[in-house]
This record gives sequence, structure tokens and C-alpha cells, in this order.
Amino acid sequence: MFYRLSGVHHADYVSDTRIFKLPADRNLAAFIFLFGLVAPFIIPSLYLNSYILPWLIWTAAALGLNLVTGWAGQLHLGYAAVMAVGAYSAIHAARFGIPWEFALIIGGLSSSVIGSLFAFAALRVKGLYLALTTLAMQFVMDWVLTHSPAITGGSHASLQSPTLALLGQDITSDAGYYYVAFGWCVLVTIFMLNLKRTGLGRALVAVREKDFAAAILGVNSFYYKILAFATSSFIAGVSGALLIATFFFLAAPEQFSVNVSIQVLAMVIVGGLGSVIGSYFGVALILLVPGLVNGLVVAGSAGLGTQINVETLAHIPNAVYGALIVVVLLIEPLGLGKLYGNIRDYLMVWPFDQLRK
Amino acid sequence: MMTQRTTDVGTGDGAILECRGIERRFGGIVAVTGVDLVIQPKEIFGLVGPNGSGKTTLTNAITGFYPPNTGTVRLAGNDITGTAPHKVAKLGVARTFQNLALFNGMSVLDNILLGRHIHMKQGVLRTALYWWVAQREEIENRKIVEEVIEFLQLESIRHELVDGLPIGLKKRVELARALVAEPQLLILDEPMAGMNQEEKGYMSRFILDARAERGVSVLLIEHHMDVIIGICDRMLALNYGEMIASGIPREVVKHPRVIEAYVGGTHG
Repeated sequence: MFYRLSGVHHADYVSDTRIFKLPADRNLAAFIFLFGLVAPFIIPSLYLNSYILPWLIWTAAALGLNLVTGWAGQLHLGYAAVMAVGAYSAIHAARFGIPWEFALIIGGLSSSVIGSLFAFAALRVKGLYLALTTLAMQFVMDWVLTHSPAITGGSHASLQSPTLALLGQDITSDAGYYYVAFGWCVLVTIFMLNLKRTGLGRALVAVREKDFAAAILGVNSFYYKILAFATSSFIAGVSGALLIATFFFLAAPEQFSVNVSIQVLAMVIVGGLGSVIGSYFGVALILLVPGLVNGLVVAGSAGLGTQINVETLAHIPNAVYGALIVVVLLIEPLGLGKLYGNIRDYLMVWPFDQLRK
Repeated sequence: MMTQRTTDVGTGDGAILECRGIERRFGGIVAVTGVDLVIQPKEIFGLVGPNGSGKTTLTNAITGFYPPNTGTVRLAGNDITGTAPHKVAKLGVARTFQNLALFNGMSVLDNILLGRHIHMKQGVLRTALYWWVAQREEIENRKIVEEVIEFLQLESIRHELVDGLPIGLKKRVELARALVAEPQLLILDEPMAGMNQEEKGYMSRFILDARAERGVSVLLIEHHMDVIIGICDRMLALNYGEMIASGIPREVVKHPRVIEAYVGGTHG
């Protein structure tokens, strides 16, 4: 990470529109990608499949929500419901005997259809009213799921996911599950990075920032709001299906309840609205820190020889990670992604930044 | 009330913009009434009037934000009355706003690239398959944008966020964004508000050059009479939503009703 930059000079527009314009960023991304490829050989499968795999899938899901909330500026509190639609459609399709590749696409598309219904609310109302409308739709979806035995088997039932098979290969190994999650996360990440440099991404940001100014440039904000909801819902649907197929193996309505919706929104906001790398950090904070803190507290109390009662032990991680969210947002309202960006920008010219002052 | 005119409005034959009998009411308030406006190709047309005289309402009637209650708007002969703003943009009308309507969270370059929106295709698959589908188009449009960036001398700030720029530069970025759309008609709503004499000079030069090099017709709303007289071919003065004079700028500004509207009563 310690590199010097004496100015970025691009000789043509292709190099000026690259995703990673700096060699250092490019190398870092390549390194992380390669590390992701060899991770199953390095990381014990317990950690790989219980921490890294859900982190990757939730990151893909959070990026989808970031598309609609961060890019297009539409608050969405019913994201878990949309994920549920994808998960249940895909699993039912797979149980029906449809190959998993198509089952995942079916899951994504049915999520898109339901998610676009949310969009019609977004065309009518804005801001807090939209948040409340999408929240209401989440409750409707919860009720439908718990009261339709045909879909979920009822409120206390769970639905077994058939064995995942892609490209004619049955996937049953831990490494296999990991690679599926990794592949999906990479695809979504590349899409989101491309969004930063294409007309679609610009149009979405235009709709977010000033819809009347967008209109006079020829941007039809109705169309782009629906497109944003449909695309983000597709990502949600496939992510939800993969979450069941590679992590939970059983689908239950509680996995997509309203607090999950709020958690994904928290991931996106803590990570940074409109930031791709931020979504990775945000998901890590929300998903992994409670477990980490828990481990530290247990280890700490054992080391000190004190006995902490179970109830306190259960609440400390929640309090700590709640405090962490507050601290992060106080330090940098644009989230962890911006925080990373600041540190990166500082290191880029260190120690010569004094010369600019 | 019959309006008195120094010269007539002109015929609509071959005109870029032709507005006839425009009226727009907000509840009981008549913001604009009985306005005729004809802009010929490659003409710089000034629109003046005291605050609240209906200049911006007239622009909003043309661009579809507030469709007129009565009257017709024709763009190069086609009726566009009441067409939605994003469709009006596609038909070749670009505009800037009085209070600026830049996207503050985006760089200067992205703001100007958005001006190319109507000339580009946007789609989910294009974005996903960027290298194979979208890249060529992005680069081609970038070249067009860079021409305008050079024309308006914005090279040094192209990667900066719009948010932190001084107002003179912001106005220039907005002009650039409107120009890259290659409009037939460019509507500039007070592009020189809050500018000093030097900045006004620059902006006037840019408008004249835009017409000379790009052949746009311009509807210029301005309060600076020196600018109107300096660069406009013809002009229209409004007061209380009605036309009070139209014609050659030097004659219109001497018109008693224009003087009355601007500096108060001449009688007594």
C-alpha cells in the first residue's frame, strides 16, 4: 500500500475511464481477487463457510440495495422481502426439476417483477413516505409468506433446498459453495463498478440529485426509478437464492423478516451510499463484528479469570457494535467507504502532502 | 388590453421556436398571458422583464415543466405544447437554470457527459458488458464532451466535484452541459446573474461563439441590459406576464413602457 504518486497522467480516454485508474489500486484489486481464488486452500473451511461465504453473499445483496438507495436515491425498507421472493422462487423451481442456472434466473426475474411493484410506490411518494411504503410492503410480504403453506410450508415450516448443481456439476463441497458465492459477488461488483462510468449510472445519480434537472437533459426519471428497482431486485433475488442454496440450506420466512431489511440498509449506510468498496466494509461490520466482539469478550473474561453471566455476554456484542455504527457515522457520514478513501488519498502522497499545504 | 409594439413579432415560417398566445395560470394568478414569441434559426433572442414578470414561467411553458393553459408552442414547425420535459429535451431543446441545476455529487466531467444522455444508449446489459458494448460509445461521447470542455476552457477542473466550484465556473459547466446536447434551441435563464463585468464578458463571448461555431439559436433571459443590447438580435420585454415591447434591442429599451416597467412611471 505504500506507494508514491506524482500525478496521474492518461494519454487516452480508454485509460482515463478504467475502473482502477491507479496502478496501486489495480494491483490491490488483483491481489484481493487472487486471494479470493486461493482462499479455500488457505483458510480453514469452518471460517471460510461460516464467515467469508455469508459476507460475500450479503455484500452482493447490499450492493443491489446500494444501487437503488445509494445510486438512485430511493429509500427501500423492504429489501429482505424481495430477497425472499427470489429465494423461494428459485428453490421451488429447482425442486420442480429445473436446472439451477435457470432456477436462479427465475428467482431473480420474479424478484424483479415484485420489486418493480415497490417502484410504483416510488413514482408516487418520496423520502420518508417511500420508506414507510416499502416497509409496509415488507410486512405484507411477511404475512403472505407465513400464511401460504404452498410457498413456505407455513410459519414454522422450512423448505429444503435441493442439491446445488451448476454447469452439470453437483456442488456439495465447502470449497464449491465458496466459489459460487465468490463468483456471484465478483459479478455484482464488476457490474456496480461499471455503473460508475456508464450512462446508466450517471442517469441514476441525476434522478437522485435533481429530478427536474435530469428531465431537461432527457432523463425520464420514472423509467430509471423502475429500472433501478428492477435491477436491484434481480440482484436481491439471486443473492437470496444463493444464501439458501449455499449457506442456510433450509428456507424459512424468518430469514427474510423486517429486521433483516433494516440490517441490509444499515450495511449500505454504514458502508457508504454509492460506494462499492464501502458495501464490503459495511457488511463486514454488521455481519462479522458481533461474532468477533463476542469471541473477544469470552476470551477476555477467561483471561482475567472473571465470570460474566450469560445474559451480559449476550448483550455486550450488540452494544459494542451499535456503538461502532454510531462512531463510524459520526466520524464520516459517508460511511466506511469514504473513510477508506480518505486514508488511501492520504497515503497516496505521504509524506509529500506537506508540500501542498 | 392591447399591447403596443415597436415592431411585430415576426412570422413563424422556418422559425426554430414559435409560441402563440401563451397563457399560464397558477390558481387565480395569471403568470403569463397572450405572449407571442418567434425565434429564427441562429438568432440570439433576449427576454427581459422585472422580477415576477413571467420570464421563467414562459420558459417552463416551453420546456414542459408547466404546460401552458392556452396557446401553442412549436419547435421547428412541430407542435410540442405540453410535451413532458424529458421528451422536449430529446427534440432538441437544452436549457440552463436561474439557480443552477448541476448535480453536486458528480464531477464536472460526469455532469457534462450527462448532457449527452439523449445521444447515448443506457441499459443494464450494456453496463454489465461494458468492454464489449458500451466502451466505444462512451469514448466517442467523451471526445465530443472534451471539445466543449476545451471551448469553454474547463480543462483544469474536469475531474473536480461541482460542489466546490465558484458560481462563475458552475454557470459555465451548466452551459457546457447544455451545449454538448447539440440542441437546436438553447434556453439560458440568467446565465450572468451574480457575475462581475469580466465574467459577463467571457460568458457573452461564449454565447456568441456557440452560435457561430455550433449554429444554435438562443433564448437568453437576462437582467443586464448591456448584455442584451450587446449580443441579442431581437428581444421581448415582459411585465406582469404581458408583452410590453418586442423588436430590435436598441429600440425596445427606449420604449416608454419598458422604461416605466424598469425605472418607474414617466408621467407626471
